[in-house]
Amino acid sequence: MALSKNRLVVSCPTEEQNLIKELVALSTTEQIRKIRELPVSFEEKKHVRLVEKIFLKICHWSVFPLYLNFIQKCNRDVYLCVLLCCLLLLQLIRRFGYSIKSVSQSLQLWRGIMKEIGGKFGSSVLNYFVLLKWLLLFNIFSFLVNFGFITIPLLVSDLSPNVSPNVSFRGLELLTGAGYFNYTVMYYGSYSNETFRGLVDYDMQLAYFFTISVYMVLCGLVLIFSMASSFKKNYALADAASNSAWQLLCSWDFSITNEKAVNQRKNNLRIQLKESLSEKAHRERQTTSEQLKQYGIYFGSWLLSTGLAVGCGASVFYLCQYEDEVRKSTYCCRNPEAETLLVPFVVSLMNMVIPLFFSLFNKFEQYSSQRKQIYALLFRNVLLRISILGVLCYYWMNTVPQKFTCWEPMVGQALYRLVIVDFIFLMLGSLFGEFLSNVIGTKIQPRLGVPEFDVARNVLEIIYAQTLAWIGIYFSPLLPVIQILKFFILFYLKKVSLTHNCQPPRRSGRAAQMKTIFIFLLFIPFFAGALSIVAYTAWSLTPSEHCGPFRGLNNTFSVIGEWIDDVNKLSSTQWVVWIYQNVIRSEIFYFLITLIILVLIYIFWQLIQGRKELIVLLRKQIVNEGKDKSFLLEKLQNLQKSSEHISIVPRQGMLRGRQSPMRW
Amino acid sequence: MGNKQTIFTDEQLDAYQDCTFFTRKEILRLHSRYHELAPHLVPMDYTNEPDCKLPLALIVDMPELKENPFRNRIVESFSEDGMGNLSFNEFVDMFSVLSEMAPRELKAIYAFKIYDYNVDNYLCKEDLEKTLNKLTKEELTPEEVELVCEKAIEEADLDGDNKLSYTDFENMISRAPDFLSTFHIRI
Repeated sequence: MALSKNRLVVSCPTEEQNLIKELVALSTTEQIRKIRELPVSFEEKKHVRLVEKIFLKICHWSVFPLYLNFIQKCNRDVYLCVLLCCLLLLQLIRRFGYSIKSVSQSLQLWRGIMKEIGGKFGSSVLNYFVLLKWLLLFNIFSFLVNFGFITIPLLVSDLSPNVSPNVSFRGLELLTGAGYFNYTVMYYGSYSNETFRGLVDYDMQLAYFFTISVYMVLCGLVLIFSMASSFKKNYALADAASNSAWQLLCSWDFSITNEKAVNQRKNNLRIQLKESLSEKAHRERQTTSEQLKQYGIYFGSWLLSTGLAVGCGASVFYLCQYEDEVRKSTYCCRNPEAETLLVPFVVSLMNMVIPLFFSLFNKFEQYSSQRKQIYALLFRNVLLRISILGVLCYYWMNTVPQKFTCWEPMVGQALYRLVIVDFIFLMLGSLFGEFLSNVIGTKIQPRLGVPEFDVARNVLEIIYAQTLAWIGIYFSPLLPVIQILKFFILFYLKKVSLTHNCQPPRRSGRAAQMKTIFIFLLFIPFFAGALSIVAYTAWSLTPSEHCGPFRGLNNTFSVIGEWIDDVNKLSSTQWVVWIYQNVIRSEIFYFLITLIILVLIYIFWQLIQGRKELIVLLRKQIVNEGKDKSFLLEKLQNLQKSSEHISIVPRQGMLRGRQSPMRW
Repeated sequence: MGNKQTIFTDEQLDAYQDCTFFTRKEILRLHSRYHELAPHLVPMDYTNEPDCKLPLALIVDMPELKENPFRNRIVESFSEDGMGNLSFNEFVDMFSVLSEMAPRELKAIYAFKIYDYNVDNYLCKEDLEKTLNKLTKEELTPEEVELVCEKAIEEADLDGDNKLSYTDFENMISRAPDFLSTFHIRI
């Protein structure tokens, strides 16, 4: 397509014909996508679309006479009607699809607020709110699924909760989750293991098992797909060498509409450019002693951070044991329920205070790039939270089942308490982190300035909160309700805190890559960990004897075995039994699958290496072509000059001859 | 289908939905925004496709574009006459390309046109200098401006002709994953 003054125009008719031919060969959705992506003006796109539609109609109608010869006369009218109806139907379906799309868009939550935040603070801060909304949707889906498939059947069949008479609702339950709540449908313990006979036979055991496992599998799939698509789009070969060109041409955020934010961005860009120019001028080699000192500082701070994380984990473990002893020894005296809040309180306090130490270490270390700094900080925070969660899960899996007869609700209550206390601390953290920093930064110590919104820390906090909910779904199916309320309130709280207390981030960082890292973090340590805890519980631990839907079984997974035995009795569903015995329970299948996947991964890896080498070669080729081009241009210019020179020289000689007598 | 509106015919709305990344509701909303800019000039009834163009000065006054340093170039790149007078179709086209659903290649083409001040299909040093001055409120010294632009050309120019062609620009964009989210105006 030839480039005209302002618009790319489909200039030659043959090009247009080629385009139409290309479009006609595609499916309808592909056609629409291709038309939308044409870099031409709107009128041209409409024109292409119209021509393509006419062409299609001509194709249909030109085929029609051929059919006519083969169909009898009475069927011709029917065929005509059917063809017209099909075309009309397709058009109606397309319009219906569009209206569905616009309805779903209008139901989008918080669209106006996101636009406002993105306009004032940029994409990196917006990533936090987008992630919060996404996790909220996970929880809403979980609540609907759990409530619909597990709770409602129970409530329908058995309306009255079997509460023991001396327990009534006090306010403390909202905080501790024990007491009255223990007997409601909130926890695992209240669910029955019967099969409800009614219109259909509804097996509660199977329902509970399948609902939880299908939800976790769906979550995992959604996370994997979004992580993969995010990697594909955003984690391209980010070249550190093209820093200046990138800053100039790609870094300006077009979505910022606030005047102050725009001015601030301009200032920041100017400062960054000046910094990078002066860095280039003063880059000197570090001496060996300075390098050694740098490495010493790295080693020291990593040792300290790992030590802190491990120390926190150990202290949580000892605290759990202490709480256990206290509970066993003193039956009355102090309020035993309030004591259960000790562990969540300490855990949340550690999660709030220790990252401040990590930020402090970060200030002393000097990493070569800002990205490495953020990664180091993130890694340490993740290590801390994983070690605390790991210790807690170990305690729940190993010690709790032996101590209580009805242990799953106990774990559910512990998780409930963690979620609630975590929420309180998130609110407090917002108060201290942002509000107080703002007050200190503007009034007391103006040198510090208005604080920035710390995206990494906040994102990690909501990922951790979501992990607690994921672990807790098995033990407390209605925990997503609490999570929904929590995230809902948190959104508005953070938005208010952001607009009142924070300034836009100074460094226009690589927001898209950070988003990929966040999704990756959400999936690999946190979701995978939660899934493995639930899987371990279902596979290896014995369910409690007297409560819950799996009472009396050896492990939760044996419901499948029993179900397969039932299915085996019917001859029409033998294929299900065959699949179960030869695919799911056979080890050879998994071994083969693993082997095949490993081989595929190796092949793809080699392909990628080959492509990388090809890219390097092609780049060299482009550079060589450029050199060839400039060499040929120079030669052309020289030839032209020399041919002009030959024609000019005699005239110059005549001039010299004339001038010399005048000088005399 | 849906609520009755008399601004566009159904065929027109179909065409808009097929050729841009907007839904029916968004197109109607865009029309009301376009109408707000000049209520006495823009007719409410577009069924017979009136020939109405709004001047550059009115378009860049929109809150979405007002603070953008490249607002003039953006509007000029999407106008047929190159002077920034946009008809409604060009208005929709502009926001469609700048929306979040437009693919990277399409955005790269228009970003290149926006930065190309002298419209010669190359980003030469003067284009980059003008871009830089717009981005930094002209507070860098001329030497610094020249240094930064030279460095940018050196980094991105692959074929060694001291200016960036569209291929060089596209190659640089492909290595900048943020581009999709930064080259985006919400409406």
